[in-house]
Amino acid sequence: MKQFVLQQGSSPELQLFPDIIEIGSKKNISIQLDSMPVLSYDFLRVYCVLEGKFEWRMQGQQFVVYPGDIVLVLPNQVFGGAKGFLEIGNIAWLYLNVTRPENGNLYWGAWSSLNESERQTIGNIMLLNHTVVRSRVGEAIRIFLALQNELFNHEIGFHTRVHQLMDELLVLVTRQLTKQSSSGRDFPKVFLQLEQRLRENLFHQWSVEEMAATMGMGTTQFNERVKTFTGFTPINYLINIRISESIKLLRKQELTLTDIALDTGFYSSQHFSTTFKKLTGYTPSEFRKKGNAES
Amino acid sequence: MDTIISIELGTNAVRVYAFDLKGQVLAFAKGAYPTFHPFPDYSEQDPEQIFITMLFVLKNLLSEKIHPQKYKVVSICFSASMHSLLAVDKHGVPLGPVMTWADSRSKVEARELRNSSISEKIYQVTGTPIHPMSPLVKILWLKTHDKETYRNTVKFMSLKSYIIQQLTGACKIDLSLASATGLLDIHKKVWDTTMLAYAGIQVDQLPDPVAISDTCGKLQHQYRVSLGISADTKILIGSSDGCFATLGAGVWEEDMATVTIEDSAAVRVVGTKVLMDKNQRLFNYVLDDKHYISGGPSNSGGVIFEWFAKQFGDFKEAYDLEACIEDLMTEAAGVEAGSERLLFLPYLLGERAPIWNANARGVFFGININHERKHFARAAIEGILYEMYSIEKMLQNHRNIKRISVNGSFASIPFVTQLIADIFNLPVSASPNASSVSLGAFLLCAAEIGIYKDITEAAKTIKLGEAFKPNKYQNATYQKYYAVFESLSGKLGSDFEALALL
Repeated sequence: MKQFVLQQGSSPELQLFPDIIEIGSKKNISIQLDSMPVLSYDFLRVYCVLEGKFEWRMQGQQFVVYPGDIVLVLPNQVFGGAKGFLEIGNIAWLYLNVTRPENGNLYWGAWSSLNESERQTIGNIMLLNHTVVRSRVGEAIRIFLALQNELFNHEIGFHTRVHQLMDELLVLVTRQLTKQSSSGRDFPKVFLQLEQRLRENLFHQWSVEEMAATMGMGTTQFNERVKTFTGFTPINYLINIRISESIKLLRKQELTLTDIALDTGFYSSQHFSTTFKKLTGYTPSEFRKKGNAES
Repeated sequence: MDTIISIELGTNAVRVYAFDLKGQVLAFAKGAYPTFHPFPDYSEQDPEQIFITMLFVLKNLLSEKIHPQKYKVVSICFSASMHSLLAVDKHGVPLGPVMTWADSRSKVEARELRNSSISEKIYQVTGTPIHPMSPLVKILWLKTHDKETYRNTVKFMSLKSYIIQQLTGACKIDLSLASATGLLDIHKKVWDTTMLAYAGIQVDQLPDPVAISDTCGKLQHQYRVSLGISADTKILIGSSDGCFATLGAGVWEEDMATVTIEDSAAVRVVGTKVLMDKNQRLFNYVLDDKHYISGGPSNSGGVIFEWFAKQFGDFKEAYDLEACIEDLMTEAAGVEAGSERLLFLPYLLGERAPIWNANARGVFFGININHERKHFARAAIEGILYEMYSIEKMLQNHRNIKRISVNGSFASIPFVTQLIADIFNLPVSASPNASSVSLGAFLLCAAEIGIYKDITEAAKTIKLGEAFKPNKYQNATYQKYYAVFESLSGKLGSDFEALALL
């Protein structure tokens, strides 16, 4: 891959692609101090290692990456060389404009042909997995090469192709993120990891797609496995966790029912109340009163 | 038509069975819940999650399969894993998660107690070997390492006691589970004041110990409405899973023992006397006013072979562990007895009976350049069964065992059942039912409502399947290998300790 850097605002090649902040490839043959300081930005960064071995630091954690590895840095995450400089080797990168409004989800521009729910799921998975992607499959390298070709050669259809390749990169990164934690062998172990993640983010409106993707599985297979293993559909299993957490919170007198409902991932106190009563026979407030009466 | 419901609060899941009055299964449902390991040696569960899962599964089973058929629920009977401990405050609110039987954070406390002068007395009075599993030892751990919880605890409960308290308000523990706490005088069947003093607790900090046939009051009104159950449905406290499994296996003769291999495993016998082992290796749990269940528990059950399969098996489809295990079993069946001089000590989770060493580790011994995966697979299965055999040998010191009944998902795989027959050199029959635990619960309920005179008569109605007969030639081979197994297991004790101290 040839060396190049294209930057929004100064490179005419990017005029048609306002959401690409920077794209480049660099063969580093000598070490220069402060060439890769540890910093955070408000855009999404994707780095791909082409040659060599790099020691990088993200969010206070140090790690080593090798050719084929991808590193995904979210807006506002702190990232850079472990010693502040870029080591000898060859890397490619893409900085992409994404927004992360108040409610926390990641959004990117209309250039993407991923549909709304796919985008949401991908965004959520990226937010949940604060780890480095280790793909070592060369797939990412191919995408970066193709991106470079399209941006410089302007063959027919290049505008669409660039967008497709960016989508492809985001999908690849997400799939690798979900797959690397699981070997396809130990379902209980991976399911326990999912359970812990559900509990840590219980307020979140989990979809089956997200849960499945977290385990690196498609929804059909995920549904079957969860049903066999737990006896419940994924959604009912999740409701179980929500209700059992809400019971703990109901016993603490200081929280309002609405707070509890939202903390445990119900849409509203009404939704909480109906679900709770359906399962236990008590409304949440009856259950709370009952607890008081006993003590 | 009438139905009897059994609720098993197992280690990984709650299983609910509905029986007709002849003991035929009408319906079954299960719901799994996780065990959390926030630190090494910790094994914890969420009591509310287990409660809600139980409620959810029970409700679905009743509304989908029982109520539409117009069955009337006569009784509901509970069983649960042994040795769980849940600390509860003055409002009845849990002060943290439940510690399960597998929680071994109190290793140090257990070792100190076992080496102390009162160790023998504790065993004689409580019948429970001193081990981190024991609630007595768990309380000692809390006393030293979590003083706040220890101070704020108004009741030390078992998981089942907590679940039943949620449902009916009663605060009770059945004598089976109570006799697995290390706090009960199993001869007098009351909490032992010396043990309580040792744990630093008062008698009112424990639930009331009651017989397994005790009814725990009525379900609270809202649960009755929600589940569609009438006020006259009896709620039976039931027993521990181990005691019920023995009852349900129909092992009611002096010359019989039962081998249960699920994730963990045990060999058990029923009798009217407590079996005292001079090395404190056998447990004695109270079943009812006449009977004790005695035996030895092992950590090294089916979970060990699952580990092997997950690491070394082929997964043609992601997460299809069953198919993977089946393939490995087929491979293993093609290897001769003894796995061509390969032996396996299955102590991946430490071990309880017979060596009672929490620091024990797994070992493959005798690896040769010609060994292939299939040899390792067979050696793993043989190792798990040698361990069972060593427990059975301990029991042979007290009993003349001539027949074995097996149950549990691992032991009832026909290849494994035949291996048990060959290694033990005894005829082995499989239990007729998918769950001996629930069948035990059914027998108790059936005796309670007068279908049987007592549980002895009930137990004798269990018809075991045709026996797998031992192969003498194979047994001769296994005997030689077992001698090496036993010798290794004994010799490595100090090295296991040394490894643990690194």
